[in-house]
Amino acid sequence: MMNKKTDVLIIGAGLSGLLAAAKAVESGKGVTVAAKGMGSLSLSSGCIDLWGYDIDDPQRVCQNPLAQIARLNEVNPEHPYTKVADVLEESLRYFQGLTERYGCPYRDNGGANWLLPTALGTFRPSFLAPPSMALRDLDKAKRIVIVGYEELKDFYPEVMASNLARNGNLPESVKLTVVKLRSAWKKLYATTLAHRLEQAEGIREAVEQIKAHIVDGTVVLFPPVLGERLDIDVTGQLAKALGAPVYEVANIPPALPGQRLQQLLLKHLRNAGVDVIIGCTFTGAKVEGNRCLQVTAEGAGKTFTFSAKTYILATGAFVGGGLDSRIGEAREVIFNLPVRTAEKWASGEFLSMNGHGFNRFGIAVNDRLQPLDREGRVCLENVRITGANLAGANGPIEKCGNGIAVASGYKAGKLAGEVAQ
Amino acid sequence: MSQDRHLILDNCIKCNICVANCPVVKVTDQYAGPKQNGPDLERFRLDEPAAVHPSIGYCSNCKTCDFVCPSGVNVATMNCKAKGEYVALNGAPLRDQVLGRVELICKAAQIAPSIVNWAAGVGPFRAMGEALFGVAAQMPFPRFATKTFLQQFKPKKIAHPKGKVLYYPGCYVNYYTPEVGLALAKVFAHNGIEMVVDDFNCCGLPTVSNGLMDAAKAYGVNNLAKLNRYIKEGYAVVTTCPSCNLMLRQEYHELFDMDTTLVTENTYDAFEYLLMCHEKGQLDRNLKRLPRRYGYHQPCHLRAVGYGVPSLEILRLIPELQVTALDAGCCGLSGSYGFKKEKYPIAREIGQNIVRAVADTGVKQAVTECGMCQLQVNHVTGLPVVHPIQLLAEAYGL
Repeated sequence: MMNKKTDVLIIGAGLSGLLAAAKAVESGKGVTVAAKGMGSLSLSSGCIDLWGYDIDDPQRVCQNPLAQIARLNEVNPEHPYTKVADVLEESLRYFQGLTERYGCPYRDNGGANWLLPTALGTFRPSFLAPPSMALRDLDKAKRIVIVGYEELKDFYPEVMASNLARNGNLPESVKLTVVKLRSAWKKLYATTLAHRLEQAEGIREAVEQIKAHIVDGTVVLFPPVLGERLDIDVTGQLAKALGAPVYEVANIPPALPGQRLQQLLLKHLRNAGVDVIIGCTFTGAKVEGNRCLQVTAEGAGKTFTFSAKTYILATGAFVGGGLDSRIGEAREVIFNLPVRTAEKWASGEFLSMNGHGFNRFGIAVNDRLQPLDREGRVCLENVRITGANLAGANGPIEKCGNGIAVASGYKAGKLAGEVAQ
Repeated sequence: MSQDRHLILDNCIKCNICVANCPVVKVTDQYAGPKQNGPDLERFRLDEPAAVHPSIGYCSNCKTCDFVCPSGVNVATMNCKAKGEYVALNGAPLRDQVLGRVELICKAAQIAPSIVNWAAGVGPFRAMGEALFGVAAQMPFPRFATKTFLQQFKPKKIAHPKGKVLYYPGCYVNYYTPEVGLALAKVFAHNGIEMVVDDFNCCGLPTVSNGLMDAAKAYGVNNLAKLNRYIKEGYAVVTTCPSCNLMLRQEYHELFDMDTTLVTENTYDAFEYLLMCHEKGQLDRNLKRLPRRYGYHQPCHLRAVGYGVPSLEILRLIPELQVTALDAGCCGLSGSYGFKKEKYPIAREIGQNIVRAVADTGVKQAVTECGMCQLQVNHVTGLPVVHPIQLLAEAYGL
């Protein structure tokens, strides 16, 4: 049986896993990322949400996410942010630095949340946005042109326009225009269109059909399809040709900003010498005392093992496949770590504003991100837990998923780097 | 491997990660995509096998959808089966029937390999081939070796072998690049490992990719019976072609529900096998310096096995050899896919990722396991390309 040795093994290729790898490899240690699938980062909006709404008034958008998170110690001490508070700002600066290095500098809004338009014409709070999405002062535009494609599934500019008119608090003087383009390509997925827009014909085709709608003071909004590659600035090319600022709005996957971020981080890991293995399913671990000695994985039906000094569990929760459930029981699938659950798993209401109990399920940790058993003792001292594997957050309601991923991934990578050789 | 693993249709949560990563969907509007052709239509096909979308022919069977899926859905297997259903219903063009039967082409060419090589390079013949049969004139055919690997290989008796392997060379090494098989034989003999060969059928992957399922299954039945006999005699099966490897250890079971327990457990990529020897301290570490730099391309079917790149770990042992991962994804050729007139531009466009990676890294030569990838990397970049086992043999001074 093949055994692969490495200093730090990161299981999972989502945002927290990739960040952990980026940080850990700086210590000079051998780092391997291995995952069952490609990681859900490519399905995300591509923005880093930190904290969306006010703790005391959940209807209000939170004005200062860092200050609100600092309060969690008193109001919700079990929240994962309380375990990573010491590195939160440092990790965000680190993330911004990385993205800047690869030509996609993520922007903050001076400590406040951005309010970014979505494909449904709503506004979502987010803390860091890629340049193609970091849209300020939409209400100061004279005209908003919303661009769709007849051939593109999953984006309906008319829906966005009518909801934007209702939700946007836009002055009456702002004119909303829907432009539905026709492409020479008959069937477009977001990724197909992104590729087409990286070619000169794709840009020409779009510009020819939009140009007539541009007046002074126009802002052009596209679905999130403006190119896949990091070396071509489709947004910039369109803006230049149209003579108006162009932005992408958030939409359901596949959406390119998330894919670009994933690609950027993978490119960085490659440059830094991290091995990335996709397509192996982890099935179990060999443990002695409170240390993990090796983990078992399966690829194309055959079993092999990995052994490392530090294991970082970044496999995600139920959607990512890191946690599994049966009626009345939730379990972590590799190390069989205790999962903290709650009496009430789900709210009766599908879109309840209190969220569902299962979203808070996860693994309890100490402030070194080591997993704890029900008595609060460390169960595996050379395992660290990150991202959606952590117990206590309510991501869909609090809008904190990627923020926790960045901070916990960074911290786990840093701690793994400090382990003695 | 659990033999009861079946198509896990209900695990698909429609997350679209397969669409987001599909190299074909990215560059053409002709393909309805892995999700729609795979799990979406599979639900209908459970009742009505005719529920196949004609665009299924545009699936290149690179298997990216399989290994990016976080839910363990074998999308590519569904697509292969769907292609089989489509061909069963509508027939396959003569071209696909010929291109899929690589083994027959190769056997026929053995009558006069040099004449075949000459004819394959003559522009007017290729133009005719494109006009009459739809075989892309711009895609160069690989060149037949004057003598096959099996004709050249001479087994070496080793007194107290550290291991016994049966080498499955596959059509590409046997007919086009026998030097790869011969290099492997030398490396094994040098390290005290006994290697034998036998006459096998094509693994069947090219037939599957062209929807010729019955032919593929027949190959599978023959190959499995023979492989099982060797394994029961204590041989490990070793391949140098990632596609053959994947076919033997996974696809016979997934596509045809054959019992491959023994073969799956005992089939190894050559470098996977060497890495295990290395871990046991059985690999000679006395390697010459190779002060050169290569760009490494990872074949999709090696990625699909999910154990990383064992060859890179072994090549790292060679002093002064620098191997830089190109990490450019699929090369686009996907076996016979890129030889089809209507698919050649797609294959070429996907291959531009390799061109950019080569420009970024500035490498002047490349290394990769898969014969077809070697062909495409050379076609799109012009760089010379070798198999990693050739570098290892060279470093041993063999």
